[in-house]
Amino acid sequence: MDNSIEKRIQSLSERLNYIRDIFDNKHTEDVNLLQGRLATFSERAEAGSFADPFVELKSLEDLFGYVEQRLDESVTPMDKVRIVRHPQRICLRDILENVYDNFTEVGGQDEHSLDPSMLIARAVITRRRGKKSYVQSVMVIGQEKGHGEDFRNGGSVKPWGNAKAQQYMKVAETEGIPIHAYIFTPGSYPVEDYPGAAQQIARNIYSMAGLRVPIVSIISEGGSGGAEAIGLADKRLMLSHGYYSVISPEGAAAIEGRLKSGQRATPELIEHCASCQKITAQDNLHFGYIDAVVQEPPLGARPYHFDFFRQLRQEVVRATDEVVISTRLLPFFKGVALRRRRRVDLDLDELHIRWGLTSAAKDRLVERRQQKFLKLSRNACRDRRPWFSKAMAQVGNMLTAPYNRFKYDIYRRHQRKMEMFFDEIDNEWQLFKQRLFAPWYKLKRSLPRKAKNDDASKELTALSTWTGDARRRKWNYISPRYKIDRTITCPNAAQYGCLDLWGPDLFAEFAGVCSYCGYHFPMEPEWYVKNVFDEGSVFEFNSEIEAGNPLNFPDFDERIAAAQKKTGSKSGCMTFEARINDIKVVVAMFMGTFRGGSVGAAEGQKFVEAAEIAMKNRYPLLAYVHGTAGIRIQEGTHGVIQMPRCTVAVRRYIESGGLYMVLYDTNSFAGPVASFLGCSPYQFAVRSSNIGFAGPGVIKETTGMDVPPKYHRSYHALSRGHIQGIWERPQIRANLKQALLTIGGRNLYYR
Amino acid sequence: MLNVTEMLEEIKNSPYREIEICAPHTGRVNFAAIQQGSKVEGPHGLWKEKPGTLLCTLDRERNPKPIAAVEKGELCLLHSELEGCFVEAGTRLAVIRHLLTRDEVQAAILKKALHLFTAPERAKYYFVPEIDKKVRTSGSQSVTVKDGMELFIMSRMKREVPLVYTGPAGLIYAVYFTHTSNVDAEQPLIGVCPPDQLAAIQEVIMRVQTEWTEQG
Amino acid sequence: MGKSNKESNVAPAGGLIDVSSHKVLVANRGEIAMRIMRACVKLGVAFTAIFTKEDTASGHVRLAKELGGEKNLYRVSSYHDANELMAVADDAECTAVHPGYGFFAEDFRFARRVSKRDRKLIFIGPSWKIIRELGDKINTKRLARSLNVPTVPGSDRPIYDEMEAERIARTVFDFQVQQGIKRPLVLVKASAGGGGMGIEEVYDIDNFRSVYRRIRNYAMRQFKDEGVLIEQRITDFNHLEVQIVSDRSGKNPVHFGTRNCSIQSTGLQKRLEVAPGFSPDEINYSFDARKVLDDIVHYSLTMARKVGYDNVGTWEWIVTHDGSPFLMEVNTRIQVENGVSARIASVKGEGGVDLLAEQIRIGLGEPLGYNQQDIAFNGVGIEYRLIAEDPDNRFTPWAGLIERFGWQEKPWLTMHTHVPTDVPYEIPTEFDPNLALAIVWGENIEQAKDRGRLFLDSLELKGCKKTGGELKSNVAFLRQKTAGILQF
Repeated sequence: MDNSIEKRIQSLSERLNYIRDIFDNKHTEDVNLLQGRLATFSERAEAGSFADPFVELKSLEDLFGYVEQRLDESVTPMDKVRIVRHPQRICLRDILENVYDNFTEVGGQDEHSLDPSMLIARAVITRRRGKKSYVQSVMVIGQEKGHGEDFRNGGSVKPWGNAKAQQYMKVAETEGIPIHAYIFTPGSYPVEDYPGAAQQIARNIYSMAGLRVPIVSIISEGGSGGAEAIGLADKRLMLSHGYYSVISPEGAAAIEGRLKSGQRATPELIEHCASCQKITAQDNLHFGYIDAVVQEPPLGARPYHFDFFRQLRQEVVRATDEVVISTRLLPFFKGVALRRRRRVDLDLDELHIRWGLTSAAKDRLVERRQQKFLKLSRNACRDRRPWFSKAMAQVGNMLTAPYNRFKYDIYRRHQRKMEMFFDEIDNEWQLFKQRLFAPWYKLKRSLPRKAKNDDASKELTALSTWTGDARRRKWNYISPRYKIDRTITCPNAAQYGCLDLWGPDLFAEFAGVCSYCGYHFPMEPEWYVKNVFDEGSVFEFNSEIEAGNPLNFPDFDERIAAAQKKTGSKSGCMTFEARINDIKVVVAMFMGTFRGGSVGAAEGQKFVEAAEIAMKNRYPLLAYVHGTAGIRIQEGTHGVIQMPRCTVAVRRYIESGGLYMVLYDTNSFAGPVASFLGCSPYQFAVRSSNIGFAGPGVIKETTGMDVPPKYHRSYHALSRGHIQGIWERPQIRANLKQALLTIGGRNLYYR
Repeated sequence: MLNVTEMLEEIKNSPYREIEICAPHTGRVNFAAIQQGSKVEGPHGLWKEKPGTLLCTLDRERNPKPIAAVEKGELCLLHSELEGCFVEAGTRLAVIRHLLTRDEVQAAILKKALHLFTAPERAKYYFVPEIDKKVRTSGSQSVTVKDGMELFIMSRMKREVPLVYTGPAGLIYAVYFTHTSNVDAEQPLIGVCPPDQLAAIQEVIMRVQTEWTEQG
Repeated sequence: MGKSNKESNVAPAGGLIDVSSHKVLVANRGEIAMRIMRACVKLGVAFTAIFTKEDTASGHVRLAKELGGEKNLYRVSSYHDANELMAVADDAECTAVHPGYGFFAEDFRFARRVSKRDRKLIFIGPSWKIIRELGDKINTKRLARSLNVPTVPGSDRPIYDEMEAERIARTVFDFQVQQGIKRPLVLVKASAGGGGMGIEEVYDIDNFRSVYRRIRNYAMRQFKDEGVLIEQRITDFNHLEVQIVSDRSGKNPVHFGTRNCSIQSTGLQKRLEVAPGFSPDEINYSFDARKVLDDIVHYSLTMARKVGYDNVGTWEWIVTHDGSPFLMEVNTRIQVENGVSARIASVKGEGGVDLLAEQIRIGLGEPLGYNQQDIAFNGVGIEYRLIAEDPDNRFTPWAGLIERFGWQEKPWLTMHTHVPTDVPYEIPTEFDPNLALAIVWGENIEQAKDRGRLFLDSLELKGCKKTGGELKSNVAFLRQKTAGILQF
C-alpha cells in the first residue's frame, strides 16, 4: 500500500476518534457510518482491490468533511468543553509556530521551566508597506496545554507561573510592545504556597488594569480565575469552539447537585449545567464580554488546520491595530482607519501601522480599557432605583465633582501652606512676648506660692469623672443566638481543653469568641455594622440594586428570593458610609449569609459604585468580607467579569490616592479574593477565618493532593505573606481606628 | 541485652489491648447504630483528621457530643443498658479490643530497652519551653539530654517547679506524658537511648518491623 | 419542677417560705462542701453533692453517703465545669446552687446563667448584678468614693494616656511625701487584672515610664485592655474584714462583727484569723481602735445598703498604723473564716450561730428575722488553717499520704475537715493541701491564746511521701504566730 495512503488513513482514523471523543458516544449512527466506510476502505486498499485508491480516498475524505460540517451544527456547550480539552486541540506552541513568523521562548523551555503550563515568548510578525518590510515584536503569554504531556499540567498554572506572566507583562510595558495573551486553561492550580493562587491572580489583574501597552487576549478555554490572570485586555477575541466560564460544568454540577467530595455528578446534570451557564463564544459575544469571535473549522481547530492559523493571524493583528488606532486623538482618521480594518478582504500583512504609543496615547489607552470594563455587566443586575434618583445622582455628581476637586486638590493644599505660615508667625510672637515680659515672670516666681496640695489629695481620693469607649460595656448588637439555652463545643476543645461554652454568654458578652482558646465563632454581618462603627453613623446607599438571574438559570429566581427573604437584604453586598471616631469611611460589606456571600453582577456593581463614591468624596474604602464563597456560578460570566471590573475600580481609587483596606472574616475564597480583594496592599483577617483560592474538596479533586486541616486558616495566610495581620473580633474597632491613623498618612483622603 | 524474640513471642500470645471508653463528662447517652462485636475504626487520614467510628452521643445541656472509637478494633463490650440514661463522668460505656500495631509493639519493647526517667511525684509535666519547641518542630529524637539538664516543668497545686534530668546522656527516644493529664510518681516520663546503645535499639526496631505482621 | 423559682431571688412579702421544698446542689468540695451539707440537714433542705475522680476518698463524699438522700451524689469531670453542675442539678432536680468559696462563688456569669437558663435555679449568693458590680475593682472603688467611703489614694478609672499616668504617679508620690512617708511607693496595676497578676511597684519616679509600659503591654496581651490603675502602695497595715449578712430584700443588712486576718503566708494567703478585728479593751493601740472598727462597719453597711446587697458578703479593709482605714475589695461570697465570726456571736441571746445555714435560709428567700440589736458578741475566736506546707520554704505545698490525724475534743474547739481520721488519706495534687480549720474560743485574748496553743500541742498529724520525706505542716508556724494576735 502506498505510504501516503496509509498516512491519510491514519489521519482519518484520528479524526474519527476525535469525533467519538468530543461527542462522548452521541451521534453513534454517524460515527458507525464513518467507521464502517473507513474499515471497508482500509481493507480493500490493503488488498489492493481499488483501481484508483486516491479517487476513493478523496471521496471518503469528502464524506468525513461533510459529516463533520453537519455535526458541527449540533455541537452542544458540553461538546465544546470536550473539544477544548482534547489532546488534538491546537495548543499555544502550534499558534507560535503558525501564526507568528518567529519566536523565542523566555522564562523556561518545555519541562525545564518554573511552570511549564505557563508559556511566554517574544514573537515577531513581519508586515510590508509597499516594498519595505517591518518586523513587529509582541510579548506572547499564555497557558500551554500541549497535546497531553503530563508536565504541562493541562494548562493549570501554579501561582509562580502566574507571577512569571506578571513579570513579563511588566517587561513588555518597559519595552513598549503589545501583549498577546492566549487563554488555554481549565483554571489555576489551587495551592496556597507563595505567592498563592488567589493573591497572585489578583496581582496580575491589578497590573493589567493599568498596563501601559496594548493587550489583546484570545480565549480558547477560559476557566474562571486562571483565565482572568491574563485576560484583562483591550480587545478580547474568542475562538468559536472555546468556552469561557466561571467554573467547569463538572464543578457547577457538583455544587448544583450538592454533592459531597468523591461523589460524581451524572452526565445529564453536567450537560445541563454547561448549557445553563451560557459559556460559548456566541453567548459571551452577546453579553459583550468578548469583542469578536474567530471562526474555527468544523468541530474545532486542530494542528493541521493551516487556513485557520492564517485567519487567526489576521484577527490578532487586526485587533492589535484597532487598539492602537483607537488611542489616536483625531476622530476622523480614527474612524476611517478602523473602518478600513474591518474589511474582510483586506490582508493586514500588507498594511503596516506602528504599534508604539506616545505617553499621552498610553494614558488614553489605559483610560479606555478601564472605562470599557467599568461599563460591562451593568444590565445584569436589577437596578430598582427610580429613574429620578438615578438622574439626581448624575446631576449631583456633576455638581459635587468639581467642588470636591476644588476642596481637596486646590484649597486643602494651599490651606496647609497658610497654616504653616501662621504657625511661624505665632512662634515668633511667643518668643518676643517671652523676652518682653521676662522681668515680670521672674518677679512672679520669686513670690511665695500657695500650696496646691489640697487639690492633689482631692484628686487622689475623690470620685473622678470617667467617659470614653472603655466605659462602654455592652455591645450595640448581639447575636439572636444568645436566646437559646444550650452549650456549644469549641472546635479546638480537644487541643486546648476548652470547656463547653454557654450559648447566651458566647453569643452576647463574648462576641462569639471562645473564652478559653480565643477561637472565633462566626457572627452575623449586623454585628459588625452595629459594633464596629460609631453608633448611628451608618448610612446605606444603593440598597435598591438587587441580585438577579441574568442567565435565567432554572429555579434560581426562587433561590435568590429566598435569600432576600432570609437576610432582609437585596443582594450579598451592602454598601454604606459610616464613621469610626468621626473619620468617615465607605464600606462594602460582603455577607456570607446571602448565598454564601457569592459575588454576581449586583454585588460587583455596588462595589464599583462604592469605590467611585469613596473616590469622589475622598474617603477611605473598606471591604469588609464577612464571607464569600466566590463568584456566583449561576450568573456565569456575568459573575466572572466582576473580577477584572471591580479590580479596575480599585485601581482607579488607589491611584487617585485612596486608602483601600480589606478585612476577611469567616471564609473567603475564589474569585473575589483572586481579584479586587486580594489586590489590596492592606489585607487583614479576623481570627479563625479561612482565606484561600479553593476549598479542600476542590484541591483534592483538581490536584489529587490531600490538604492538612486548617490549611486555609488566617495564621497560615499570614505566614505565607497573603495578609498583613490578624485581628480579634472585640478589637476590630480599635484596630481599624489604629489603621486609619497609621496607614492612612497625611496624603490620604481622610485628612 | 534484651531478649527481643522472647518478648515478641510473649506479645504474640496476647496481642491485644483492651481500651475502655468512658463518659468524659455527665450526660444522657444515646448509642449509635452499632452492635457489640462489630469492628470499629480509630481516627484515620493522613493527619488523623477523620474521627473514628461513632459509638454514641453524650447529650449535656442540649449539646450532643459524639463519642468516637479511639483505636481500631472490635467492640467487645457495649453497655447498651445505659441507653437513654443520665450517666456520671467516668462511667464505662464500651470496651474496644484493639490488636496491637507494629508501632505499639515497638513502643512496648522499647520501654524495656531504653533508660527510663521517672516522675518523682504525681503531677503534670511539660518540657521547658526551648525543648518543647524543638520537640514540636522536629520530634523528640532531635533532643539530646545530659545529666543535670533542666528538662521539665513539674506542675502541681498551682505551682510550677523545674525538674532536672538525671541519668545517661542520649537521645529522647520516647515520650510518655501529655501536658493534659497527671503522671503518677515513679511512672516513666521519657525513654532515653544512650549513644552506645543506639545500634542495639535500632536492631530492636528492625526486628519488630520485620517480624511483626499487622493483621486485619 | 421550678415551682419555687419563677420569680427570681426575691422573697415574697410577708415571707413564709418553705425551705424544705428545696434541694441544694453543693457545687464545691472538701470542708466547705461538708459544712454546706450539714447546714442543709439542719434546715431540713435536701442536697446533692458532687465529686471528681481525684476526690473519691474525700470526707465530703463520705459524708454525703452517710447523710443519704435520693440522687445526692454524682461524679463529675471537673468542679470548674459549669456545664457539669447544671446537668447534675437538672438530673437531681435541684432548685438551688450553693457555690461555697472559690470555683464559681464570685463568677457573675455562673450566677447569671443559673438564674437565666430555661430551668432556673436559685444562686445562693448575691444576685449576679451585685457580684458583677462589686467584683469589678474600679466599680467598687468608684462606688465607695461616691459614698465618701475611704479608698486607697490613686486613680479610680483606667488610665490610657502615658502623660496622664505619669502626672498621677507624681501626685501620688508627692502626696506620700507630704504625709511624711519616708519611702513612698506607687503601685501600677492592670485595671482589668486580678489575683495579683500584672501589678508592679515603683519606688523611683524615673522608673515609672518603663514600668508603666511594661504593665500596659502585659495588660494588652493578657486582658486585651491597656488601661492601668495607679495607686499608693500602702505598707505596714493590718488586714480587717466586716462580715455582712442581708436577706433578699436587700434593705436591712446586718453585720456579724469584724475579723483580723493579718497573719498570712508569704504569698499573702490567710493563715490565722481572729474575731473581733481589734481588742481595744485588752490591748493598747496607737490610734482609736474602737472608732476604726465602728467606722469600717458603718462604711460597709452604707455600701451594702446602697447596692441592695442580698446575701452574705465580706468587706475587706486595710488599716494603717495611724488608724486610717481604706476599702480594699468586697468578697461577694461566704468566706473560709466565716466560722470564727459566728463563734463569738449570738442572736437573740442564742449562741451556735451558723452563717452557712443563715446564708442558705436567706438565699432561698426567707427573711432574716432579726436586726442588729438582736446580735451580740462575746469573747475571742481564733481560726487556724492547718495546711500541709513548708513555711520555712516559701510555704511550698506538700503532697503525700496522711497516715494519722487526730485531736482531743473540747467544748471550746470546732474542727472542720474533709480528711478522714480513721483511714490514711492521699492529698490530691489538683487542689491546695488544706487539711482542716480549727476554731478555738476563749473568754478573752489570753484564754483564747492558751487554748489555741493547747490545741496545737495536742494535735496528732503524721504523714509521708511514697518517695520518702516526712509530712510538712504549718503547725509550728501557727503556734509561733499565736502570741502576737491582734497586736498592731
